[in-house]
Amino acid sequence: MSAILLIAIPLLAAFLSIMLKKFAPYLLLGVGVFNVVLLFLIPEGFVILGGFNQPLGINLLLDTYSKIALMLVNAVVVVIAFVNIKEYSKFSSILLIAIAGLNGLILTNDLFNLYVFLEISAIAAYLISTSNKKPVKTFHYIIIGAVGSSLFLFGVVILYAMFGTLNMVDLIQKIQLTNNYSQLILPFLLMFIGLGVEVKLLPFNSWVKGVLGESNTLSGPMIASAYAAAFGFVLGRLITNLFLFEGSLLTVVTVILAVGIVMGDLMAFASNKAREILLYSSVAQAAIVAMLFVNGIVIWAVYLIVANALSKLVMFLVVNKAVKDVGSDEVNKLQGLFSKNVIVGLAFTLVTLSVMGLPLLVGFTLKLRYLTELASLNQIWLIAVILVASLIEGIYFVKLLLKLWYEGQEKVEVKYNVTFKVVFVIIAIALLTFGTYSTPLNNLDDSIDTITEVVNNG
Amino acid sequence: MKNLFGLVISIILGVIIILALSNSASFPKFGEVDLADRVSDQYLDQANIDDVGSANIVTAVVVGYRGFDTLGEVTVLLISALGVALILGGSGKQKRLDLKFKPNFMLRVGSKVLFVIILMTSLYIILHGHLTPGGGFPGGAIIASAILLMYLADDQFRSNIKGFKILEGTAGSLFVIIGLLGLLFANYFLQNFIPVGTVGSLLSAGIIPIIYVLIGLKVGSEISGIVDNFLTEEELI
Repeated sequence: MSAILLIAIPLLAAFLSIMLKKFAPYLLLGVGVFNVVLLFLIPEGFVILGGFNQPLGINLLLDTYSKIALMLVNAVVVVIAFVNIKEYSKFSSILLIAIAGLNGLILTNDLFNLYVFLEISAIAAYLISTSNKKPVKTFHYIIIGAVGSSLFLFGVVILYAMFGTLNMVDLIQKIQLTNNYSQLILPFLLMFIGLGVEVKLLPFNSWVKGVLGESNTLSGPMIASAYAAAFGFVLGRLITNLFLFEGSLLTVVTVILAVGIVMGDLMAFASNKAREILLYSSVAQAAIVAMLFVNGIVIWAVYLIVANALSKLVMFLVVNKAVKDVGSDEVNKLQGLFSKNVIVGLAFTLVTLSVMGLPLLVGFTLKLRYLTELASLNQIWLIAVILVASLIEGIYFVKLLLKLWYEGQEKVEVKYNVTFKVVFVIIAIALLTFGTYSTPLNNLDDSIDTITEVVNNG
Repeated sequence: MKNLFGLVISIILGVIIILALSNSASFPKFGEVDLADRVSDQYLDQANIDDVGSANIVTAVVVGYRGFDTLGEVTVLLISALGVALILGGSGKQKRLDLKFKPNFMLRVGSKVLFVIILMTSLYIILHGHLTPGGGFPGGAIIASAILLMYLADDQFRSNIKGFKILEGTAGSLFVIIGLLGLLFANYFLQNFIPVGTVGSLLSAGIIPIIYVLIGLKVGSEISGIVDNFLTEEELI
């Protein structure tokens, strides 16, 4: 059993699904479940491809960090595929390729290979966003995404011209030998911006409003949950191991991210549309995750990505289903959504409270821990920024919850089927469980990412 | 005003990039790279050439050392073709667009002769990918250009799209299956598991020519499918 199967099998299924259109949805579900099961069976370590050792050939790296990422992304895609299987069966081949692309993105240890998978998953994302039926918004996304990936590629090209290798471990070793970090600012910044487009970091995220603001039960959770998580993990890996943000560059990046956190929450606060509130909240969350990685707090950033992905999965599914049935995403039109759907309402409320970071829920544990870590790094003003943002976040989420619970003049009829409810309840219970019993979270520490170790020990 | 602003920003960015790179000691000047400690040096190593068996070193890199990237690029093309089909291909019956002129007998027969010659050229380029410049991607593009010629020269021509879909899917699947066979019979995914032969002969380089033939067929059928998508429209009833 090799980790390459996580990429090869979805690809094989994608090629087969073009010929067997009718079976494509079943192939998708089968492959998704297969991947999740496979993850429990494969050993950690480097996976050599083509029989060429690094740095001659390409290789993949499966460590605890990538394993957590893969578990999350594959499981989330399976859930999204399962709840949408009837309505969006046309997108099965595309989702299969998206799985292959995201898995490759997380696993690869080669920068050009990373770009190839960036391209695959980005094109898959553009196509998923066509299900919104807003071609102009999708086109906007394609243009910005293409510019972003070109900048990333440009950064990789400069690094290759400088050091003559694409292998991440080899490259980091060579960079350590030069000891001249100021010359690397340009490629690192280009790559950071390139990924920043997909990670939804301000100011590179102007596509988000058009795509997620018009999303449906397929594109919303895919892009806000599965894609956000995968790209978050990739950005984290690069920030932790490759990018050396120091001195004035560190200040610039930190200020950009801090502005991103506050602006995201302020825009969510200003909005009256349910989907916009959620999307701006995820913009702010993405900036917090990146901020934690920049400060070297790996494990809590990882947990935060996991919690966000699960929360956003529930929130976008609930809201997009409601928007589809009601035909409007004005919060006022959705008043009283939960008065008939109590279970869904309770799950949504728990998830939202967790994102806000209320006690007893996992969001609180996470927030407490990463704020403590930031405090020990003496980043007092960052803590202040995050607390102010949390306050704004608290206000708009409570406002949203109140509206959704209390009936207005118009009756809102939305029916969630059983699969939806099961998903919501399981995720809400998981968030509650890990919030009250957080000891398992302490089992892992920042060393889950083994690249630094490999670089130092050869 | 917006355009002017964009232009100014682009120029400033360009100047910054040029200045940053020209002042960087790590960024070597053109033609002054010391190859000794670079990966590219190992690609030119005779022992490695004998090992991979491809006389064309570009092919050795593209399909040999970095064959996994090529599998990725093939997937990029697949998903682009899927996207074109998703956006342009309707659910109903498709009819081809009319030409603005009536093709005469000479044009139709002449283009058929040319079609065969172009197809032969593409096969030559695909089959010799491990020996001379060329290979699956350019060869496949040439196949598609032959199909495009038929569309433009014959107003009755319509390619067999179902057949293309099957060819595309089969070739892609076989590429992955060859990779998996490497995992099974050798040790690693996409590793060569058949004899390499003598460098420079037609039957050499192990799985590389096989993969290139598959890529050629896949790229050819895929781009032909895209050509068809662009040159047909939904029939209005």
